[in-house]
Amino acid sequence: MSEKDKKFAAALDSDSRRTPVRLAFLTRRTSPHVSVKDEPFVMTWPDALFRIMVAAQLVAIALVLVSLLWDAPLEGLADPLQTPNPAKAPWYFLGLQELLHYFPPVVGGVLIPTLVVIALIVIPYFNVNIQAEGLWVRNKPQRLRMLAIVTAALTVFLAVLKVWALLAATLPMAALMAWSAGVTPDAPNRLRRWLFSKPLSFWIMTWFLIQAALLTIIGVYFRGAGWEWVWPWSE
Amino acid sequence: MARSFQNYLGDLRESRVWQSIFRSGSGPSNLHRSQAIQQNLYLHLFSVKSRRSSLAIGVTWYLGTLSMVTFLILVATGIPLMLYYHPSVPQAYADMKDLQFAVSAGLFLRNLHRWSAHAMVLLVFAHMFRVFYRGAYRPPREFNWVIGVMLLLVTLFLSYTGYLLPWDQLAFWAITVGSNIMSAVPLLGPKIRFLTLGGNTVNANALLRFYVLHCVILPLAGGMLVGIHFWRIRKDGGLYSGKSGDESQPQVSQPHE
Amino acid sequence: MGLAVERVREMGRKLAALYRFLFGDSVRAFGSLSLILLVLLAVVPAKDYFREWIRIQSQYLKLIRNRGDAATLQRRFQGGLQQVWLPRLGVVDRCTTCHVALREASMADVSLQPFRPHPVIPHSLDQFGCVFCHRGQGAATTVEEAHSSTKAWEQPLLPARYLESSCGQCHQDAPPGTPQLNRGRKLLASYGCVNCHTLLTSSGLSPGGARMKATDDPPELTHIAQKTTREWIFAWLKNPQAYAGSATMPNFELSDADARDISAFLIDQSTPLGPAVEAKPPSSPPGADDPQAGATLYGESFCASCHAAQNAAGILTGGDVGPELTRVGSKVRPEWLLAWLRDPHQLDPNTAMPHYRFNDKQLGLLASFLESKTDSDFTANVHLEAATKEQIEHGRTLVNERGCASCHQINGIKRPDNFAPELTAVGSRPLAKIVFAPGVPYDLSSYLEAKIREPHSFGTAMKMPKFTLATSQVEALVTALLAQTDRGATVPADLRVAGHPESDYQPAGSAGKLMDDLRCFSCHSINGRGGDMAPDLTSEGSSVQRSWLLDFLKNPNTLRPALIRRMPRFNLTDAEAAALTDYIMTVYQTPAFDSASLPASSFTAEDREHGRQLFYSKYACQSCHIVDPNNDKGYIGPTLTVVGVRRTAAWIFHYLKDPQALRPATLEPNQHISGEDARALTAFLMAQTKAPPQQGGKK
Repeated sequence: MSEKDKKFAAALDSDSRRTPVRLAFLTRRTSPHVSVKDEPFVMTWPDALFRIMVAAQLVAIALVLVSLLWDAPLEGLADPLQTPNPAKAPWYFLGLQELLHYFPPVVGGVLIPTLVVIALIVIPYFNVNIQAEGLWVRNKPQRLRMLAIVTAALTVFLAVLKVWALLAATLPMAALMAWSAGVTPDAPNRLRRWLFSKPLSFWIMTWFLIQAALLTIIGVYFRGAGWEWVWPWSE
Repeated sequence: MARSFQNYLGDLRESRVWQSIFRSGSGPSNLHRSQAIQQNLYLHLFSVKSRRSSLAIGVTWYLGTLSMVTFLILVATGIPLMLYYHPSVPQAYADMKDLQFAVSAGLFLRNLHRWSAHAMVLLVFAHMFRVFYRGAYRPPREFNWVIGVMLLLVTLFLSYTGYLLPWDQLAFWAITVGSNIMSAVPLLGPKIRFLTLGGNTVNANALLRFYVLHCVILPLAGGMLVGIHFWRIRKDGGLYSGKSGDESQPQVSQPHE
Repeated sequence: MGLAVERVREMGRKLAALYRFLFGDSVRAFGSLSLILLVLLAVVPAKDYFREWIRIQSQYLKLIRNRGDAATLQRRFQGGLQQVWLPRLGVVDRCTTCHVALREASMADVSLQPFRPHPVIPHSLDQFGCVFCHRGQGAATTVEEAHSSTKAWEQPLLPARYLESSCGQCHQDAPPGTPQLNRGRKLLASYGCVNCHTLLTSSGLSPGGARMKATDDPPELTHIAQKTTREWIFAWLKNPQAYAGSATMPNFELSDADARDISAFLIDQSTPLGPAVEAKPPSSPPGADDPQAGATLYGESFCASCHAAQNAAGILTGGDVGPELTRVGSKVRPEWLLAWLRDPHQLDPNTAMPHYRFNDKQLGLLASFLESKTDSDFTANVHLEAATKEQIEHGRTLVNERGCASCHQINGIKRPDNFAPELTAVGSRPLAKIVFAPGVPYDLSSYLEAKIREPHSFGTAMKMPKFTLATSQVEALVTALLAQTDRGATVPADLRVAGHPESDYQPAGSAGKLMDDLRCFSCHSINGRGGDMAPDLTSEGSSVQRSWLLDFLKNPNTLRPALIRRMPRFNLTDAEAAALTDYIMTVYQTPAFDSASLPASSFTAEDREHGRQLFYSKYACQSCHIVDPNNDKGYIGPTLTVVGVRRTAAWIFHYLKDPQALRPATLEPNQHISGEDARALTAFLMAQTKAPPQQGGKK
């Protein structure tokens, strides 16, 4: 059956452009803001909903499979007198717990998480984030100097406090930033060009993401009794 | 075979019973399809049309959808789990044993709940980063981003409160470690900790509090925020597709509205 | 080759078509994924269906199908998940889900687990459930989780050889069914474990429990220089068992220097005792008489009732109340020994040794006999220089470190409190709190065993010394320790069986002083106080005749010649013997009957003759007892040839009617003898007053 033989659009062909039923009521009194753009729309039912359902089923299948194969952990009855060593928080808080290893509780447990949450909330309220201009597009020498100063200060600070885990992510990050700064938008290296176009918020968020992932992984796999460093394969 | 099945389906759709339930009627016309969305309480949160570009997998990775799916799985498994659970010491732990050894499919239920909870935390984080990197927080979607951050916190607290409920060593000490961080808050720290735990240590009161938070307060809060989150997606112009000119358009007018 | 490629391509095309068919668009994908999800969800109940216990139950049904008792067994079989639920004890035991035949006595021939029936025990299986005694995880319905140690459950099944320990959770008495537990508890006291370790017997007595008391009677060291030499101390410290194989003093595995310094300190801290120990030469020189006279006196005084010694063949014989005497001559100074034999209470007021009233000649004989028991090898290689100040100080430090004062009294050293870890709840100590030595299996009983056997395998810093124990002793100790669970505190009070509280009975007056001087309570028990070596004397006044008792105290002859441990002769004066007899006859009367009833005059010759017939025919008493040594062959019970001299008629009468009422532990069967028969038998027995003519065959 070819496309032309069809009298109706097939069940899934709900492209509102191709299907003929299209109504618009425009009266003189109301003038809705209609911007006609070259943007194809589809009907939510069935296109979007079926895709959503497929996605839902995929994750459900994956989770059912995991649940059939692996049992949820359960240890002995809670005993306040018997402290396991190490006592670990749930994995998503292990980054925080790792921070507590380096900083006093007020900093690692209260100040940093609060600042992170506040920082996340205010992201969309800063024009610099909204405009998202590439970091190196303007004032490059000045900004490179700024980068150098901030990196140096951070390095000294973290080194004094012996926060090697944070330092390990910060230094390569700064190097990457400096590396991406040294090109024009039409340079041959695509990765470098792509990084060149990234705004400050991208760099900060990426730094945060890598940092959080690193701390969490260390907390989950590399910490043993007394929060000492252990290799996960050493047991 | 397929043909007759479709006929059969068509007959069903035209029956009075079907039509009394789904008033929109059905058919391949866009009118019917619009009504399928508009006249359904839950689907009404969607707009009738979606931008085709926003449906591509590479755009959103469906992370928001998947977060919601895990949330629904958690509700669906959490409610039967509540039937077998007493928030008391040490019965809570004995209930875990009953689920594992005596209740039919009890262990599967618990497994699914636990793994889905981990998956949800992971997916919500991933969703947040995806939204950030695509710049989908830009106006007019700023506030929806803020709601998203709140939902992240609700998710974390849901998972954290649920962590205590099995009342095993893992639960007890994870919560003890976490609650000790609270007391580091200047001035109010110990008070906050006392309020959260209902005492100075993780004990039966803490279990009851966490149970109520986990099963009533946080799911309700999450559900409400999710409702607003979805509604705002629509009111802020549908899923962000990343095309230029899309921003700053508060709402694309739709037919039949 | 090309064909193969074509086939692969064809396969690829087909797979692609299949993929398009299944997942070609989102509707198809939705349908296909729905099916997959449904199939996966169907695995969940299927997984339930293939659970271990369901397979085991069908195995059981197959097993009993062809048995003769199949009908009964099938009728009584209950399928599905089974559990013993005792909310009061917090018991939820699902063991009976797999162990389906626990109550089927007719399955006794089956040795295949889990289908064996439970052996008969004094409790109903539903009274305590399974885990209470066997440990393991009762809630579990898989073999692995129920039996083994897992992350969620540390307590694996208790090995069968330690099962008696579970009785001890409630029983503080010594039930006859738990010899190993009872032995272990005695060892804890007699090896002085509880000198260093606090151990509260948690059940019953008082809310906090009573502290178990040591019974090892470690000697005071405050005057040790008068008793022995520094050389002996050194050799003893190095290896106590080399001096006496039965010594309970553990081996601290000291270096030569440490032993040297400790011995120096002990001699240094020793104070003189005063005039009691003076070098008084025996009034008659040793060996003046018969060379065997000392050995004879040692035997006549029945020293061996309490003291052991190796005989010529190297076999240890004798009691374990006092120290072994095999090499005593190498140990004690002669003047101390003499003073000790004269009156031990002057040197150690707390000793269990009685005050024998030896005369000077006897003292000399006995002392020289004991001094001859030497072993020149023991201290032969010990050559100690005079101690320096530093060595003495170092010795003091070591004595503190090693906790010597936990057992021994030493001048200038305070007895340490809680020197070693408390053992009150050691039976439920969490494994996570234990540091296991390499190679020790990860369970509590193995840990305890290893710890008692080889304390130093857990680290050289461990202070616990190495005790010399046989395997059966180690197992008894582990049993007693495993009984110390924290259940003792949570079990409802009505289930606990308290032990017999220790009595502090003290007889009054001058007779009481005399009994104390003779240390009657070291062997005899009266009103709940005292040892169990000799008969209980609580009702002695009702049971024996005055004349016999007076005679016996002055000259204790053989009641049961086959026994090694017998009443020694204390060389009492007439006045002492009379006072003691009067006291016993007056005070130790049973409330059960009047001992003066049934006077001998009330029996007639017919009574006696009737009694003889009953004795020999109706009750066949001669199968255990001897009345006529020429004909009777009963050796199980005591010989009754002179019972009419010893016993009161009233005692015999009431004893015949119900032996256990008067002697709960006696072997004598209760034959429910009528009053008439008992009276006749009593008449017959009371007539047995003549000592038998000496038989040639006496051994």
